[in-house]
Amino acid sequence: MALKLFKKDQTRAMIDRYSWAELIGIYVGIALFLFFMLAPFIEGFLVSLKPLAQLFSSPYSFLPENGSFEAYRTMWVSVPSFGRYIFNSLLISTIATIIVLILVVPAAYAFARFKFKGMAMVLAAFLAVSMFSGAVLLIPLFRLMRTLGLLNTYFAMIVPGAAFLIPSAIWLLRTYMMRIPIELNEAAYMDGASQFYTFRRVILPIARPGIIVVAIMTFIGAYAQQFIFALTFNSKTEFMPLPVGLFAYFGKQEVIWNELMAASFVGIAPAMVIIFFLQRYLVGGLTAGAIKQ
Amino acid sequence: MGQLSLKNVVKTFGDFEVVKGVSLDVHEGEFMVFVGPSGCGKSTLLRMIAGLEHTTDGDIVIDGKRVNDLAPVKRGIAMVFQSYALYPHMSVYENIAFPLRVERAPEDEIRKKVEAAAAILHLETRLKQKPGNLSGGQRQRVAIGRAIVREPEIFLFDEPLSNLDAALRADMRLELTRLHKQLGATMVYVTHDQVEAMTMADRIVVLNGGYIAQVGAPLELYHKPQNTFVAGFIGNPRMNFMPAKCVAVSDAGVEIDFNGQKLTIAVDVPADQRTALIGTDVTLGIRPEHIAIGTGDAVMTIRPTVIEHLGQQTLGYAALPDREENFCFVLTGTQIINDDQDVQVSFSAADCHLFDADGNAFERSVELSAMTVPAQS
Repeated sequence: MALKLFKKDQTRAMIDRYSWAELIGIYVGIALFLFFMLAPFIEGFLVSLKPLAQLFSSPYSFLPENGSFEAYRTMWVSVPSFGRYIFNSLLISTIATIIVLILVVPAAYAFARFKFKGMAMVLAAFLAVSMFSGAVLLIPLFRLMRTLGLLNTYFAMIVPGAAFLIPSAIWLLRTYMMRIPIELNEAAYMDGASQFYTFRRVILPIARPGIIVVAIMTFIGAYAQQFIFALTFNSKTEFMPLPVGLFAYFGKQEVIWNELMAASFVGIAPAMVIIFFLQRYLVGGLTAGAIKQ
Repeated sequence: MGQLSLKNVVKTFGDFEVVKGVSLDVHEGEFMVFVGPSGCGKSTLLRMIAGLEHTTDGDIVIDGKRVNDLAPVKRGIAMVFQSYALYPHMSVYENIAFPLRVERAPEDEIRKKVEAAAAILHLETRLKQKPGNLSGGQRQRVAIGRAIVREPEIFLFDEPLSNLDAALRADMRLELTRLHKQLGATMVYVTHDQVEAMTMADRIVVLNGGYIAQVGAPLELYHKPQNTFVAGFIGNPRMNFMPAKCVAVSDAGVEIDFNGQKLTIAVDVPADQRTALIGTDVTLGIRPEHIAIGTGDAVMTIRPTVIEHLGQQTLGYAALPDREENFCFVLTGTQIINDDQDVQVSFSAADCHLFDADGNAFERSVELSAMTVPAQS
């Protein structure tokens, strides 16, 4: 019996057992959900395989006839600086992530471990700040950047992005660090370790999975967010990140849809690689054995 | 060295006084156990000695030096936590080496000391493993290893065995006692488990509501409890308390009227207090293990509601009129008694404890040396 759907074959716990009808319902639900989620991506990928002419054929066929990866080659020709845009995107997101981590890790530890006056207020203020989307503050930020002479620099795209990502990162990491047992701090203190030594040798290694989650969230956030800052604070082609760079495929007469789709997928690829790489370090259960719970 | 004194130590959290003036001397090399019900301040007291809690008032003196404001390391103290508090990302070796790394000891000295500690605690084969792969007892030994590697003068243990299962706890008890003999250091040990207290301690401090109820050797607490709290806390099942009336006082002791029976309890009452005592209410205390079936100095007829047969012992519980607590008795061996049937039990006047109306004990006229084995009738 390949499908272990009969009760005597099941090794699952009772609570995880479902009837035939339930199983079908669950998988239909998953399929439906996945279809809505993935349909744009599937269609985007199919478009990238089609010759441009076929896109406007009628009746429209979803599956490409004599499809090819030609667009993945020509995209580099029609927009020669596309590589530069990818690099810009990665650079902006990476630097923003590094800035956020440097500031957030000690801050989150402080919020998790120490009690100080005004702590609740500052934390509430962080929440309030992250409720504003960057878009609301674009005009004041633009004026600020102009006054400081920072328009059309990487700085203008990195720093506001990082600033908007810090509050939620602090909240996320603080919650993680609060779960590290206080006894570890006390034990280290009993052994003569200073606060900083304890932080570096005990807390940081244990908090690593949390820090990586924050890094991934921040990186994705910075990647997604850079469009609006790049669009407003930067007009130099060579500093453009990927989302703005994609506009290069919008010609005066026509949009090169197949290359645009191909470029979108190629542009996301490096970020995906980085995230998968980071994910490998997401080791669960790192606090196992620290204390008896 | 390793002499510890507490002088009128007080700890308050806000308005709440947890430790209300504790004075105590712990001798060098002594195994001192703090015992008491939850919330009695025993852990707080230990944490003040450790230097984890600020002392509100009073002095903590180690080897003649006031250490109230010193960091734990400077006090020459190491502590073993109830929850082990091992560093999960470090190997057993690195966990034990941690205090030495903090003080930047040379590598070969670290190796020597860690290996010595591991040998004492039988952890030699585990040094490369992470705490997550160890059993509860092994983790506890690693925690102890981290404490002994610094060679402190005073060890503090905060309920170190309470997370272990019963069998392992008994093993670790032996091991800790052996360790104490081997190291000869002063140890202060907090527990709520009176078996641990009785078996391991040189002296026990019984704490109640932030005060010291009594300090003494284990058998002293058992045979001569100074008040009803200690009498009830030490000994399991707890002592039975019954009302009685003082009839007469003499050199031989106090004569009481208990359920119409006259009993003379051999206790010392100072001559000037004797006359005032006559006619007052007193509390008679008798331990369950001192009760036997049949007749004796004092006889009671009770009807046990529950009988527990443990093989080596037979326990019975009976409700007494006007008393909330059950009357409990322990008989040795397997006894054939049925519940819900009247049974006649008795006890000897020599085994009785007597307390005044405030719950303070009259000192029993017994030689502790003669009572190393509980009298069994």
